[in-house]
Order: sequence, then structure tokens, then C-alpha cells
Amino acid sequence: MSARLAPLACFSLAFGWLLAAASAHAEPYLALTQGAKCSQCHVNPTGGGLRNAFGDVFAQTQLPARHIDTGTDIWAGQIARFLALGGDLRFDGSVQHVPHTRTLDGFQMQQTRVYLAASVIPDRLLVYVDEQVAPGGALNREAWGMLWSADHSWYLKGGQMYLPFGLRLQDQTALVRQASGISMATPDQGVEVGWLKGHWDGQLAVSNGTAGGAATTSGKQTSAQLAFVEPSWRLGAAVNYNGAAAEGSRRAAGVFGGLKTGPVVWLGEADLIDDRSLGNGGVKMLATLAEGDWALARGHNLKITAEYLDPNRRVPHDQQTRWSLLYELTPVQFVQLRAGVRYSDGIPQLASEHTRLYFLELHGFF
Amino acid sequence: MWNVSGVRPLAPLGAALLAACAGNGAGLDANGQPIGAGGAPPPPLTADFKSIQDDILTPICTHCHSGAAAPEGLELDAAHSYALLVGVPSNEDPGRLRVKPGSPDASYLVLKLEGSPGIVGAQMPFGAPALPRATIDVVRQWITNGAPPAATGSTAAVGSAAVASPDSTSFAVTAISPRDHSRLSGPPRQIVVAFSHEVDASLLNETTLRLEIVAADGAPPVALSARLAEGNPSVVLLTPQRALGPGGYRLILRGSGGGLADVNAQSLDVDYRSEFTVQGAP
Repeated sequence: MSARLAPLACFSLAFGWLLAAASAHAEPYLALTQGAKCSQCHVNPTGGGLRNAFGDVFAQTQLPARHIDTGTDIWAGQIARFLALGGDLRFDGSVQHVPHTRTLDGFQMQQTRVYLAASVIPDRLLVYVDEQVAPGGALNREAWGMLWSADHSWYLKGGQMYLPFGLRLQDQTALVRQASGISMATPDQGVEVGWLKGHWDGQLAVSNGTAGGAATTSGKQTSAQLAFVEPSWRLGAAVNYNGAAAEGSRRAAGVFGGLKTGPVVWLGEADLIDDRSLGNGGVKMLATLAEGDWALARGHNLKITAEYLDPNRRVPHDQQTRWSLLYELTPVQFVQLRAGVRYSDGIPQLASEHTRLYFLELHGFF
Repeated sequence: MWNVSGVRPLAPLGAALLAACAGNGAGLDANGQPIGAGGAPPPPLTADFKSIQDDILTPICTHCHSGAAAPEGLELDAAHSYALLVGVPSNEDPGRLRVKPGSPDASYLVLKLEGSPGIVGAQMPFGAPALPRATIDVVRQWITNGAPPAATGSTAAVGSAAVASPDSTSFAVTAISPRDHSRLSGPPRQIVVAFSHEVDASLLNETTLRLEIVAADGAPPVALSARLAEGNPSVVLLTPQRALGPGGYRLILRGSGGGLADVNAQSLDVDYRSEFTVQGAP
């Protein structure tokens, strides 16, 4: 097998194995289970953050193994006529082992985030803030205003926002998110135009390319993605060009999609990145992700993820892989317990590429 | 109903095949870079501090982290970076060292580069794309290796642009943070003093280290706690025992006559003074 074909073969193997391994059988998988777009459950059309009324009701009635009856008092995020509130809290205990180094274990507040949205013109104009309030000091993740067209087929968003590129995964350390440099940890300031029509879902964003910092050059970052969404599958493509780095540009292109087969949902993404921002002659990377989510029963999900990264396509034998196996239990509404193991593998010379991570996470959300 | 029983035996086979996709490291050196000059030119970055300084800190980080107004007092130019990184507590998260030798996962520098959820403030480099995974892995590997200083002089804490220009044998102050005559918007959590040689820790006391309040004759000096930076024994960390209010401060490091010395008993010879001002609220 030629070196050029090897990455694609690996990705095919990964995806193929996931398709075959149903016995081992972000939450983009939730959208796939419903055959819906991200905007079905989130106020942000590209997903993540505050849930809308449908998302809140779904989270209370469809996600948990058991619904604690609250009578007519159903949380739907509304704290006033025009204001909606939401939040996420993730706290975990973990053990991390890297060869030749001391094993680390401990508890950590991963993040507590609060979302606030004001529908200053109902159904048309929304002002939104996503603030991380712990750990440490407050940190603004998103803050934008969004104007919808009357028929909700177009919107214009401006402010600090997550950029549209690929699957909006919950795990910001996924190799596709790290390699592309676009994740919910790297919001940017700019404007975004969105188009949601029938099965189509598209966005075009122009931003500073400085991950939320002040513009330092005249260069800008352009991100675009287009997805076709069917009830049981979806397919999309995304491109990104960042000309804001002082030393050079950074380009990325990716394809992503999903498929629902009975109780199992499959997700996949493959990104090619050409990074010339470090001024070292450029590095071309390939990152892939394949994920399977098996809904064992209501409130029980088994997730397996296979990831691949070629950090420099000009250098052979330097590839990395990462496997994750997670069990997600949502016993009652607004509470999720996640237990998992992540197994990273890479070249034998670098101990840091052979990390084992075991964790138990408490995820509260509303 | 989706029948999966027939494909179950394929799962372990698939797992084994995919696991083989991780690189075997053939033809790569201890830093994961190609051996020799054959084929494509090797990337310049290697897991030693000189390479990290020349390929990451200087071209990327010093856009902001340089000069007297460097964020968090963290100057990352070649003259200061090692002294202010290795074994020095983070200003943002004082419970963590910026670089903890041997422990990349406990090093705040790595957490900031990776944008880990536990960090305070934004992912670094601020205002630029995140560093590639492979680049961060090189930083991790340098820390795993014990975060040694650069093998040659250009990027060590005792760099050429330091406070003093000592010859190779004299014991002298080479870098200090906050800088001499700097004006700070808030009280510093710590004062970092780098020396040209490993410091004799037994000589760190209230006689050899004094922090005086300028223009307050007769006022007692500010109490300090002093210790060597972990894994970086040529750096002394001074922590004021109370928050410094607005005003001028003078740090005096006693040299001659029972003053500071290195582990080979070479003394500073002369007293060293440095001043900074903590500005009041506007």
C-alpha cells in the first residue's frame, strides 16, 4: 500500500470497523437520532450552547432513563417573557497515565457555562451570551446578535462566535478539532451568514482569525460549510482559510457526515490542513474521526470513537491514533454520568503520544 | 431489526488493523523528526529549549510576551523565557507551575497551549491559530525530558540580553521580573530573580533579600518568602507576604559581606537594586 493511500485506508478501516462492530457497539449524534438540524434544539443554528424550548423538553422527556414528574412545572429555559437561561456543568475525576511519568489523578471542574438569550424582537432578533464562569475567572465564549429573515431561511450573526467547520463535538480535544484549530475553545470575532432551506444548511463566516483576540494583521479568516440533512443521514463539506497569522496562512478542508442504522448512529469527519502559519515551510496534516453511538436503552448510550492524525504528511511513520470508549447514563432529566477511557497511540519515541486517560464525569445541564 | 451477530467476529480484527495505523516511528529520531537529510527537509522543531525558543517562543509568543508590559509579567524573549517559565508558578493559576519539569500535564504552559478547560483566560497563542498538535507534543516531550535549559548559551536564562552581562564564571543577576523601573497596574504575586549560576539556598534570608518601600523612610521592609524555582535552581522566587499597595518598591539583593552566593561560594560582590512601581486604581 502506498504511503499516500494509507491514511484513507485507515479511515476506511476505522469507519468500516465501526459499522461492523455493532456488538461493541457532541452531541451531533443526538441530531442524527432525530433526523434534525442543530437548530432544532439549540438557539444557535450551528449548534452548541443554549437549548431552545424544544431542546429543553427533549432533554427532559427523551434523554433520561427516568423522568421525574414535575407536573406542569416544566423547565423550558424561559425566565422572563423575552429572556432564556441555560447552563452546562462538567466535573470529573480522572486518572491519566503517560509512560515514564508519574500518574496523575484528581478531581477537576472542567467547566461551568451559563447561557443567556434575549429575544428582543421575538423570532427575529436575538442577543446571546455564552459565559464560562468556572474554573477560574469568567471567560466569554460567545456573544453575538442574530437577525433572522421573516421566514427563518436566512440569518445574519455578528459578534464573537464559534466558527462553522465540521462536527460540533462536545470533546474539544478530538484530533479533528485540534488539528483544524476550530472548536468551541476557539471562538472568533466576525460576522456569519446562514442559510437554512429544506434539507440544506449552510454558513459563511468572516472573522479576525485571531481566536477572539484583537486583529493584529489585515488578514481575515473565512469559514464556510454546507450540509445536506436527511432524516437518516447527512453529508457536509467545510473549508476554512485563515490569512491572519503573521508568518503565513492556514487552510483546512473537510468532509463530515452521519448515518443512522437502527439504534446506532455513526459520525465521521476527515480534515486536510495545510498550516503555513508557523513560518517553517508549512505542514500538511490529515485528521479523521469515526464515532459510533449505540442507544442501548432510553438514557443509556455507548459511544466509541476512533481518531487518526498524520501530523506531517511529508514525514512517514509519525501517525497518531486515539480510541475512546464511553458509557453515558442519563438517569433523570438534566443529569448525565459519563465514564470513559481514552487510549492514545503514536510513535514509540514520544511517550506523550501514549496517554491513557480514565475518567468519570458528572454533567449537569439545563 | 438490524442483525449484527454475523459481523461480531470482525470487530477485534478491525481494531487490530486500525491500531496498526499509528506510526511505528521508523526513520524518526527521539523527537519524532526524520533522521538524516534524505527525502523532504525535516521540520526545524526539536524537543530542546533552543529549538522551542527559536521556533515557537521568539517568532510567535514574543509578539505579546515581551518588554516591561508583557502579559502576566511573562517575558518570553530568549533572555528571560527559561527563567520565567521553568519552576515558576503561574500568575493566572498560582497552584500550577508554568513548566513543571517531568510533568507536561501539570504544566500550565501546556494547558494554555492546548486550551484545556481548566485554564484561566484564553488559549494561547492569543490572537492566532492554536499550535499544531505535533508542535505541542514537542513542548510536552521537552518537559517530559525534565525541561532542561538550552545546551548552548543563546536561549538560557542567562542570555545575552540579560540585566547584567557577566562573564562565564561570575555570579550575577541575569534577569528579573518585574523589570527595573517598571510600572505595574496591580501588585505582583511574586518577584522572579534569575542568576547566572545555581544559588546557595541557605543564604536566602531577610538579610540578603529586602523589599523596601520607596519614600517611606523608617518603614519596615515588606516581608518576603524566598525559595528556589522547582527544577531551576538558578532562579529565586520571592513572594511578598502581603499584597503590595500602590507605591514604589525597591528590591535589594545583598552581595558582599555575607550576601548571596552560588553553590560554589562565589558571591554577588556588589549589592543589586531594582525598583518597580505599583500603580493605584485609576
